[in-house]
Amino acid sequence: MNAAIIGQMAISGALMGLVYALIAYGFQLTYATSKSINFGQGELVMLSAFFSLTLTNLGLSQHWGLGLSYGLMVPGGLIFGAIMGLVVERAGVRLALEQKSEGWILLSIILGLFFFSAAENIWGRDDRPFPTPIPEEPFHVLGLAIGPREVAVAVGVLGIMGLIELLKRKTLLGKAFEAVSADRDAAELMGISATRTVMLSYGLSGSVAALAGILVSPITTVGPTMASAIILKAFSVAVVAGLDSGFGVVLVGMFLGALESLASFYLGSGWREAPGLVLLILALALRPTGVFGKATIRKV
Amino acid sequence: MKRILLLRGAELVVFGLLAMIPLLVVNPYALGLLTLLAIYGILLIGLDVTVGYLGQVNLAHVAFLGLGAYTAGLVVTKLGLGMAPALLAALAVGLVLGGLLALPALRLEGPQFALATLSFSALSTTALNELEALTGGAQGLSLNRPPIFGHALTPPLFYWLCMALLAVVWMLMRNLLASQWGRAFEALRDSPIATDAMGVGTYRHKVAAFALGSGLGGLAGGLYAFNFQYLQPQSFTYDLMIILLLGVVLGGRKSLWGAFVGASVIVLLPNLLSNRLLFQIFSGLGFAAALAAGLQGLYRKTTRPFQALAPVVAMGILVVGGLLVENTEDWRKAIFSLMLFSVVVGLPEGLMGFTAIFLAKLFRVPHAPLPEPANIDAVLPLRPSDGTPLLVIDDLKRYFGGVKAVDGLTMTVRSGSIHGLIGPNGSGKSTVVNVISGLYTPTDGTIALRGVVLPSGSLFRVAQAGVARTFQNLQLFGELTALENILVALKGVYQSSLPMVLFGLARGEERRAQAEALALLELIGLRDQALTKAKDLTYGAQRFLEIARALARKPDLLILDEPAAGLAHPDMLQQIAIIQKIHQRGVSIILIEHHMDVVSELCDMVTVLDGGRIIAEGTPEEVKRHPKVVEAYLGQPPEPQLDGGPAPQPA
Repeated sequence: MNAAIIGQMAISGALMGLVYALIAYGFQLTYATSKSINFGQGELVMLSAFFSLTLTNLGLSQHWGLGLSYGLMVPGGLIFGAIMGLVVERAGVRLALEQKSEGWILLSIILGLFFFSAAENIWGRDDRPFPTPIPEEPFHVLGLAIGPREVAVAVGVLGIMGLIELLKRKTLLGKAFEAVSADRDAAELMGISATRTVMLSYGLSGSVAALAGILVSPITTVGPTMASAIILKAFSVAVVAGLDSGFGVVLVGMFLGALESLASFYLGSGWREAPGLVLLILALALRPTGVFGKATIRKV
Repeated sequence: MKRILLLRGAELVVFGLLAMIPLLVVNPYALGLLTLLAIYGILLIGLDVTVGYLGQVNLAHVAFLGLGAYTAGLVVTKLGLGMAPALLAALAVGLVLGGLLALPALRLEGPQFALATLSFSALSTTALNELEALTGGAQGLSLNRPPIFGHALTPPLFYWLCMALLAVVWMLMRNLLASQWGRAFEALRDSPIATDAMGVGTYRHKVAAFALGSGLGGLAGGLYAFNFQYLQPQSFTYDLMIILLLGVVLGGRKSLWGAFVGASVIVLLPNLLSNRLLFQIFSGLGFAAALAAGLQGLYRKTTRPFQALAPVVAMGILVVGGLLVENTEDWRKAIFSLMLFSVVVGLPEGLMGFTAIFLAKLFRVPHAPLPEPANIDAVLPLRPSDGTPLLVIDDLKRYFGGVKAVDGLTMTVRSGSIHGLIGPNGSGKSTVVNVISGLYTPTDGTIALRGVVLPSGSLFRVAQAGVARTFQNLQLFGELTALENILVALKGVYQSSLPMVLFGLARGEERRAQAEALALLELIGLRDQALTKAKDLTYGAQRFLEIARALARKPDLLILDEPAAGLAHPDMLQQIAIIQKIHQRGVSIILIEHHMDVVSELCDMVTVLDGGRIIAEGTPEEVKRHPKVVEAYLGQPPEPQLDGGPAPQPA
C-alpha cells in the first residue's frame, strides 16, 4: 500500500517535473549563446498562458469547438512567446552584453516585473481554468493512476526538446547556433552574426516558455502568480543539471518533481518548494557547474 | 582640508536637521515616514555592500530583513528580553546566517549567485510561514515595543534611536569602505583571480562583505519589527526585494549618500503613487530629464542610441500610462519597473553618482592630497644576488586528461637572476607558471622556494609564501585607480585590526601605504597618473602597472607572464628598462616571453620548453644556437654545412 502511494506520488511528480525541465531547457538555450538567462522567464510563461487563454476563448466564442481552437491556439501562443523573448533580448540583454556587464540580471528581473504588472491589470488577479480537449479522467497502468493531461505534458516537453535539438544538429541555422555557443568570436569571424544567433536563442527560449505555460495551465489554472513557484524550481533544475548539459535537465527535472511531491506528502504542502531550494544551494556549493555540466579549466 | 570640511559638513548638517525635526514638527505621519527612512537607510547601506562593492545581484537581503525582524520579535515575545538584546540578536542572526549562506554562494558569480540568494529568500519565507508554533505562520506575530532603560519609547524617542543607529552605521561603514577592506571588496568584483594572486584572499573578504551586509539587514529588521509591531511572512518577499534594489540602484551604488537617497525614494514612493498630481509632475520631470540627457548623449556621441532612447521610451510610457490608467496604485509594479529600467539603462551611476560628479565640479572639491613617495630603498630593499638556488622545481608534471602539458620539468631558478622560460605556443610555459603560482594543482612533482615546499593549488597561499605574478591577459582592478591597484596588493603596511579600522583609528598607516605605493608608481613612471582608473590607462601603462602591483607584494620571486605581449616598440623599451631596474634591486624573476630580443637582453639563464619537456637550457646565446631550439622554432633541422661556412643564423 505504502509503496503504491510512493510510486503514485513519484510518477505524477516526475511528470510535472518535466515542465521544470522544459523551462530549464529554455535557460540553457540562451545561456549557450550568450551566457545569460532571463530572470523574468516565469513571467513569460504566465503571460503566454494568458494570451493563449484569450485565443482559445476567442475560438470558442465563434463556435469552432475546443479541439480546433486549441489546435490554433498552440502555434499562436508559441509565436507570442517568441516575440516576448525577442523583446527581452532587445530591451534587457543586448546592451548589457555589449558592455560585458551583468546588468542583464537586473534588467530581466525588471522586465519581468513589468510584464507581471501588465498581466495583473489586463487579465485580473484571479486564477482561471484553462480549457483543454484532453480529458482529466486518469487511466490505470500497473495499479498507478496516470492523468492524460500529465501525459500530454510529457509528450509536449520531450517533443519540442527533441525537435529543437534536431534543428540544432541538422540545419544550417542550428550549426550557426552551435558555433556561436562554442566560440562567439570565432563564429563572428566566420561570418555568423552572433547578435542574430542570440536573438534566435531568445526567441526559441520564449517559445519554449510559452509551451510550458500552455501545457501546465490546464493542471494548475492560469493566474498572475501561476509561474512564481514553478520558475524557482526551473532555476533549481537548470543549475543542478548544469546550464550547458542538454538532456540532463530532463532527469533532474523528473527527480526534483518526484522529490517535491513526496516532500509535500510527508512534510506538508507548505514545504513542497523546500527540497528544490535546498538541492539548488547544495548543488551550487558542491558542484557549481552542475551535475551534468562540464567542468571548465580556469585560464588566465 | 576643504574636502574634509565639505564632506563632513554636509553629513553634520543633514543629520543635525533630521535630529531636530521631532522638536519642530508634531505631525505623527511625517515622523513615521522619517523613522522608516532611517530603517531603510541602514538596510540599503547593508545591501550596497554586496550590490555596489562586491558587484553581485543579491536577492537575499529581504530575507535577512525578515529574519532579523522575526528574531527581534521572538526575543521580546518569547524570551521576554528588552530592546537592546533583541536588536543585538537580530544583528547576530544576519551576520551568522549571512556568513553561512556566503560559504556555499562563495564560489559563485553573477547569475548563479543571484539564483542562490533567490532560493535562500524563498526558503526563508517558507520557513517563516510553516514554523507556525514559533512565528504564528500566516497569522503574523504581534509584539510591543519594550521600554528602554525604564523609559517608554514614544515615537520621537524611537525615531531618535533609529537615526542614532543610522549615524553610527554610517560612520563605521564609511571608515570600513574607505579602508583596505573596502578596496578589497571592489578588487574582488573586478578580478577574483588577481585578488587571490595578490595574497588578499577572496574567501574571507567575500564572506565578510556578505555577512556584514546581511548583519545590517538583520539590524534593520529588528528596528522594522519595533516600528510596525506586527510581522507577517508575506511582508518580506520578492516584491520588497525589487523595491530595495530600486533604492540602491536609483540612489547610486557604492555610496552612503546613495543609500540615503534611495531610502528616501522608497519611503516616499507610496505617497507619490497615491497622489495623482504629484505622480504626473514627477513622471513629467523624469521624462524631461531622460529626454535632455538622451539628446545630449546622442549629440555628444557619448552614449549608444539604445542607451539614450530606451529611458525616454520608458519614461514616455510612464507619462502616457499615468494619464490613461484609472488607478496608479494598481500599476505600482509597472511603475517601479519603468523607473528602475530608465535608471539602470540611462543613469548607471544612480542619482548620487551623477550628483557627486556635478557637485565636485561645482565646489571644485580637490582629491585629498597625496603624500610624498617613500624612498624606494625602504619599500623594496636592495637584496644580495648571491646566486644560491631560490626556486627548485623537481620532476613537475601537469596533465589535462590525456594532454601532457608539462611532463617532467626540473629546473632551478637562482637568487637574483632573471630566468627566461621560452618555447613555441603550446609548449607548456603558461601551465608551468600557473602551477607555480598555485592556479593549477600539479599532477606530480614538487616545487620548493628556499627549500620550503610551496603550497599547491591555491593562488592565495602561494602569494602569501612570497611569489607574485603578472598575467598575460591583464587582470587589473579596472574600476580602481592606479594607486589603489597597488594599495590592494601592498604587503606589510596594513596591520590594524578590524575594530581599529571601523572606528577610523587606522589613518596613519593609510598615509604610509600611499607613500609606498607612490614610490612603486614612480619606479614604473606612472606617478602622475596615480589617480587615473586602471581601465582608463593606456595599454602599455596597464602592463607596467601589473608589474608594480606584483612588486607591492615585495616578493621573493616575481613571475612575469609575457610582459611585452602586444606592446609597441617604445613601450617595449620602457618595459625592458623597468625590468632591469627591478633586477638591479635584487628581485629574482622568471620571465616568460616570446620576443627573442627581450629575452637575450634581460635573461641570465634561459630554459626552453617544447611539448612540456625541456629541450635546452643555458645562457641566451647558447640556447639560440641549440639545434633543438632552432628546430622547435623553425620546424626543420638545420641543413648540414658541407662547405664549412658560417652556420645559418636562426631568426
